[in-house]
Amino acid sequence: MGWHSLCYVLIMLKVMIVDNEIKRCKPLKQALIDNGFDVVAHVENDVHLHDKYLAIKPDVVIIDTESPNRDTLENICVMSMHNLHPIVMFTHDGDKAQIKLATQAGVSAYVVGSIPSERLTPVIDAAVARFEEFKSLRAELSQAKTKLDERKVVERAKGLLMKQRNLDEDTAYEMLRSMAMKKNMKLADLSHQLIEAASMLIV
Amino acid sequence: MKTEIKAESTEINSKPAVDSNRRNFFKTAVAGAFGAAAALNIMPAGLQNMAYAAGSDAPELTEVKIGFIPLTDCAPIVVAAEMGFDKKYGIKIVPSKEASWAAIRDKTVNGELHAAHVLYGLVYGVQMGIGGQQKDMNVLMTLNHNGQGITLSNQLKDKGVKDGKTLKRLLENENRDYTFAQTFPTGTHAMWLNYWLAANGIDPIKDVKTIVVPPPQMVANMRIGNMDGYCVGEPWNARAIYDKVGYTVATSQDIWADHPEKVLGTTAEFVAKNPNTARALIMAILEASKYIEATENRAKVAELISQKSYVNAPKDVILGRFLGEYDNGNGRKWKDANFMKFFEDGKVPFPYLSDGMWFLTQHKRWGMLKSDPDYLAIAKKVNRIDIYTQAATALGVSVPASPMRSSKLMDGTVWDGKDPKAYSASFKIKA
Repeated sequence: MGWHSLCYVLIMLKVMIVDNEIKRCKPLKQALIDNGFDVVAHVENDVHLHDKYLAIKPDVVIIDTESPNRDTLENICVMSMHNLHPIVMFTHDGDKAQIKLATQAGVSAYVVGSIPSERLTPVIDAAVARFEEFKSLRAELSQAKTKLDERKVVERAKGLLMKQRNLDEDTAYEMLRSMAMKKNMKLADLSHQLIEAASMLIV
Repeated sequence: MKTEIKAESTEINSKPAVDSNRRNFFKTAVAGAFGAAAALNIMPAGLQNMAYAAGSDAPELTEVKIGFIPLTDCAPIVVAAEMGFDKKYGIKIVPSKEASWAAIRDKTVNGELHAAHVLYGLVYGVQMGIGGQQKDMNVLMTLNHNGQGITLSNQLKDKGVKDGKTLKRLLENENRDYTFAQTFPTGTHAMWLNYWLAANGIDPIKDVKTIVVPPPQMVANMRIGNMDGYCVGEPWNARAIYDKVGYTVATSQDIWADHPEKVLGTTAEFVAKNPNTARALIMAILEASKYIEATENRAKVAELISQKSYVNAPKDVILGRFLGEYDNGNGRKWKDANFMKFFEDGKVPFPYLSDGMWFLTQHKRWGMLKSDPDYLAIAKKVNRIDIYTQAATALGVSVPASPMRSSKLMDGTVWDGKDPKAYSASFKIKA
């Protein structure tokens, strides 16, 4: 092992996370700390990124691929003397698979100088894992929300029937359900149609 | 709430249905007519290129994904896709709204996007490996001239700044940091801002602080005092006036009348693999550009691009300057002859070598290139005059006789592409 790589092993990489999603960057920060990285900051995705970067001078920046503020970092790459450059965008044959994973997860990284890949890989891997986790969390959340919304619609349609036809709750629900079955529709969709139609007729 | 989210995502992911009957009609009619004419060998020579769309030189790809940034000058891409000009040439353009120029570059380089609405200078930056790794790039055509601007905050207006001279005086008299924003380090706005400041005796590297801010965030950041000025494409200069946070101190056409701005950029690899697609793409966008150029069509185009899935700004904010009706927000109103142009009888879309070389001269000037590159050889490699000319000729669009053009910029300097090395070194203020 040469002197330089020895230095790399001994000095902790300073990682800066740029993210507004607290549910994503908090666990990422923890995972990196657990793996022996020095997470110097997690900062908001905003115009102050330029000053924060220059103040903190991290070795690695992790940022969402779709963040508009990536261009702020690009400016630092070109204009500053810090030797910062984007890494995820261009693929070297060796790490194509990893880069593909990172791109799919929406992780972009900017690094200073040439950090050996065995030092960098764990950082990227941790980011990819947290980003993926967050993605599925968000998918679950939106699914749950859909279900909730559907229930709300059915409740409203039921209420409408009860009021208009003077029915009790169970009868109104039964009526909705059998109508949905006859029409081969989802209960929520039928309820939605009913509300729309009612709003046109009543108002 | 749910339905709202759903509506938005459909809007972004799929464009509204265009009358497919008309498109099919075009396709059948074009293919039929040319097929027959070609078979009988009676097709006029000038029209034979049209067969690219109909016959043996069919595009390799049917769906072409094109990245764009929400700016008025993304119009040619949107119009080509939404109004069916793409279908006439056997392709379907799928516009893809991107959040940053970095994303445009990465996705174009990685092939996720086939081509993009992109800053002229950025393409040359990637070609030269500035700030990242090098990749061979191609410019297929220029998308527009003019229509960018420099906005200063209303605080500077209150201090009496009305042009570059008064700004310089303020900078000399008030001892604080002044922050200016542009959109990408190697891009066009960085070059217009630098050029304008330097022409007014202000060193853009030593005298002010320069940061990058995404275009749609410019106005909001100026409002909260994060910067004193910015250079960006429309409608974000007009928007600052509309929102009463800033005023236009210079238009980009004040700096260089009929300057090159956005291009249709892609990788050399893409063009090598898909030459017919590249040609079809140019043809579709050329027709869209011609359509947008007509004054009577501009209101309709402004309406179309104002949508949330495209520029996402009020139509009125887009339309005024799109028609050349300028108001600088500081008491001056005028009809600008050099407003945003897309066609001008084929002079705008032609990828002049001198235009490409100009960005290299500025990259060198500001220290992004350490030594003089072989300006002409690089421009010849990047700007695909060959493919452009095939497409333009097939459509009967006139092609300029010379790949160089001569322009006089705001400081009286003439750029004609003849001696790029001397030109680049001639500026007093440089890195």
